[in-house]
Amino acid sequence: MRVRLEGVVKRFGATVALAGVSLDIREGELFTLLGPSGCGKTTTLRILAGFVDPDEGEVYFDDVPVRGVPPAERGVGIVFQNYALWPHMTVFDNVAYGLRLRRLPAAEVRRRVEEVLERVGLLGLEDRTPGQLSGGQQQRVAVARALVLNPRLLLLDEPLSNLDAKVRARLRSEIRRLQQELRITTVYVTHDQEEAMVISDRIAVMRDGRVAQVGTPVELYERPADLFVADFVGTNNLLPGTVAGLRDGWVELATPAGVVRGRAAGPVQPGGRAVLAVRPEALRISDGTPADVAVPGTVALSQYLGSLVRYEVEVEGGRVLLVDVHNPKDHPVLSPGRRTVVSFHPESALVFPEETVP
Amino acid sequence: MSVEVAREATWPRARPRRRLPGWLWAAPVYGFLLLFVVYPLIRLLAEAVTDEGGRFTVNYLAQFAGDPFYRKALVNSLWVAGGTVVGCLALGLPAAFLLVRYDFPGRELWSYLTVLPIVMPPLVGIMGLVFVLGRAGTVNVLLMDYFGLPRPVNFLYGWHGVLLAMVLHYFPLVTLNVVDALTKVDASLEEAAEAMGSRGLRRVRDITLPLLTPGLVSGATLVFILSFADFATPLVVGMQDLLAAQAYLNIVQFVDRRLFRMGLVVGALMSLMAVGFLVIARRAVAMREYAVVSYRAVERRPLQGAWRLVAPALFATVLGLAFLPHLGLLLAAFGKAWSLTPFPTRFTLEHFDQVLHLTPTYVVNSLRWGAVAVALILVLGVSIGWMLARTSLPGRELVDSVVTLVLALPGTAVGIAYLRAFHAPLAGITLTRSWFVMPLVLAVRRMPYTVRATFASLLTVHQAMEEAAASVGASSLRTFFDVSLPLIWRGVVAGALFSLLFALQEAAATILLVLPGWETITVGIFTFYTSGTFGQAAALGVVLVTLSAAILYAIYRLTGARLGGLFGSGGA
Repeated sequence: MRVRLEGVVKRFGATVALAGVSLDIREGELFTLLGPSGCGKTTTLRILAGFVDPDEGEVYFDDVPVRGVPPAERGVGIVFQNYALWPHMTVFDNVAYGLRLRRLPAAEVRRRVEEVLERVGLLGLEDRTPGQLSGGQQQRVAVARALVLNPRLLLLDEPLSNLDAKVRARLRSEIRRLQQELRITTVYVTHDQEEAMVISDRIAVMRDGRVAQVGTPVELYERPADLFVADFVGTNNLLPGTVAGLRDGWVELATPAGVVRGRAAGPVQPGGRAVLAVRPEALRISDGTPADVAVPGTVALSQYLGSLVRYEVEVEGGRVLLVDVHNPKDHPVLSPGRRTVVSFHPESALVFPEETVP
Repeated sequence: MSVEVAREATWPRARPRRRLPGWLWAAPVYGFLLLFVVYPLIRLLAEAVTDEGGRFTVNYLAQFAGDPFYRKALVNSLWVAGGTVVGCLALGLPAAFLLVRYDFPGRELWSYLTVLPIVMPPLVGIMGLVFVLGRAGTVNVLLMDYFGLPRPVNFLYGWHGVLLAMVLHYFPLVTLNVVDALTKVDASLEEAAEAMGSRGLRRVRDITLPLLTPGLVSGATLVFILSFADFATPLVVGMQDLLAAQAYLNIVQFVDRRLFRMGLVVGALMSLMAVGFLVIARRAVAMREYAVVSYRAVERRPLQGAWRLVAPALFATVLGLAFLPHLGLLLAAFGKAWSLTPFPTRFTLEHFDQVLHLTPTYVVNSLRWGAVAVALILVLGVSIGWMLARTSLPGRELVDSVVTLVLALPGTAVGIAYLRAFHAPLAGITLTRSWFVMPLVLAVRRMPYTVRATFASLLTVHQAMEEAAASVGASSLRTFFDVSLPLIWRGVVAGALFSLLFALQEAAATILLVLPGWETITVGIFTFYTSGTFGQAAALGVVLVTLSAAILYAIYRLTGARLGGLFGSGGA
């Protein structure tokens, strides 16, 4: 099912939770709402679920407006952040509840509950109560309960936030696999950018009740629309400075660390304030080719991670740049205190007009 | 398969459904509170500044302020209430710490027994104390007969007696509140302090006590308000120069119109003061209980060495004192023609025969009014509790305040207010002449316990659980019965039982409103005792205490002994 939001505004008292959100979610895709807490992602999800109606704007499910349609008649399956499993019912009863409300015959209920429990790998635990399950198992019950009614739209509200790292990684892949098998349109809310990158077809990065950018993980990582997205998605080194020169989309920026160069990623003005963003993996230690930008600095910390060495290099002006060096076997590891030069190709650096960096 | 397809074909039913507007359902609740709480109270306050001809006057207030007797009564009342609070804290706080944090012989038994003094209303309690410690009570007779004391020792008559009776009766309220707050203190909070070197009493002062403040203040406020409003206890030991006693005495004498009017004035002032105390207390701490999703309890430590004996001994002494009234009550109830001897010389069942068999009116009425009141309370209390916890209806906060107000209003004042507000026909019914006024006033007075219980229980049910049910197709009513109710019914029933317990014990509003034929157990006790028929008063007292203990036991079974939150005056 295709889901469209058009100019959705939602206020809670004096606070504006959503300040005009428009999204187009395609049939069968896993679409993630990503952003820091308070950005409006959960409110958007609750509007899709039908728990909240927008103050302005409209939501369309396959081009049919759904304002005022109660949650149960929208054909949505919801996985709540804290699972919201009913503690007084068994796993079976939790999953079967919605089917029984629809007065399906008992045999049919059993067949469908078992089918969905098998899908999430919980067959055999039907008679347990939620209190007797591990966090990961509870999560699966919540997913099974959301799927058993064959919803047109699956909504997941930070479904992995209460789990430890290992279980989280495994369940993340499982949710993705289930979603691919069922080809069900899914909206996934998270504040964890890594989780969003791994699981999503497309991501909407939200901030202060607005959509900052919509794109595939690759687009967001490689072509962030603004400084906020550049900073929020992945890791970025930021060097603020004054625009010294501007030519053919290339910007020269005078920073305390020296003059640097990159591609303009927004309306920068000569003499205006701007910020250069460059990823750690685009930085190299010393030996730059002549075309590169070079910034001198001092190694403050080196972390050996096996597949890479991550350096923190303090440059003139006090900023610390993160530098990832892959295949460390080929390079000698520099110890803290060493003077060095950090270099990068200007093609891999983006220059954004300055705004307050969160 | 066809069924499934047919069902799923109903998905794109993108048709808006009108929800019933919330006010339609809330209107009766608002109406009830307005008519039976707000209106009588306003009426009472108005009476204090209106003369016989209905004109505004401050004469009565001036008379009150100008009369040294009333001024003294006011000061006395404040001293009694303040003293009771101090005494209750001194007993209740250590008791709570011992019960929650330490292990010692008989701890569970003590924790159960500590609550028991509550089952004895002060009226019955002081009566029992008089049988044992009074002028002609067991102890004084023993002292005079066997130790040659010329005159009886004054254990009870005066300040010290009132304080003794009140502290013994009310200290469990502090214990319960503190036990409740203490069990909710996450162990890691104290461990964090300990890790920084804050230990022992220092840690208690810096970390634990501040965390307990909400529980402490709400317990203390409740004790203050209740002891401030109690007229029966001081009257039995002969103290009349207290506000509550004056309000009562002035109202029940129907001879002197001026005095009657002064009774109204005192009742109105007491209401205002009770509300004032509550507001001050609420300002002092934000009394809203923080919703703790999960916490790790502090582990109980065994008491060491001599303390293992001292703790039970302390409990035994305090509770021994607290059970003296029960002893006196039993002796008087079963004793035959008991006088001038330390203990009854002969025992009999005739008092019970009298109050249970020959004139069972008192017991029957109490149960009848109690049942009707609880039915009313369940409908109202659950509605209000749900409204406070789950809706954002306009006026919600006001309803919260009104419910808390009810908890603070002295029974005497409520009785007087009802007498004045409903003695004229209202929609063709003169309420004060209909038996319904008895369960009605009980329901109004005791409803807050059920509201609080419902509210607190609903807080533990995360709203997402209800939303999850709605998302798979359950209607709000269906959700309430399938999801919310199974999770909260224990709490709600426990709250309703508390309401019933205190409805049975009500001895202020009902004594003022009662007409012949409507007498309850407490009214019976009061009339028998004041007319000198001690045996039957005591027998009724035993019946009441037994009923109360049974209800308390049921509550224990339901809630697993976690009662504290219900007693706070902090409002929902």
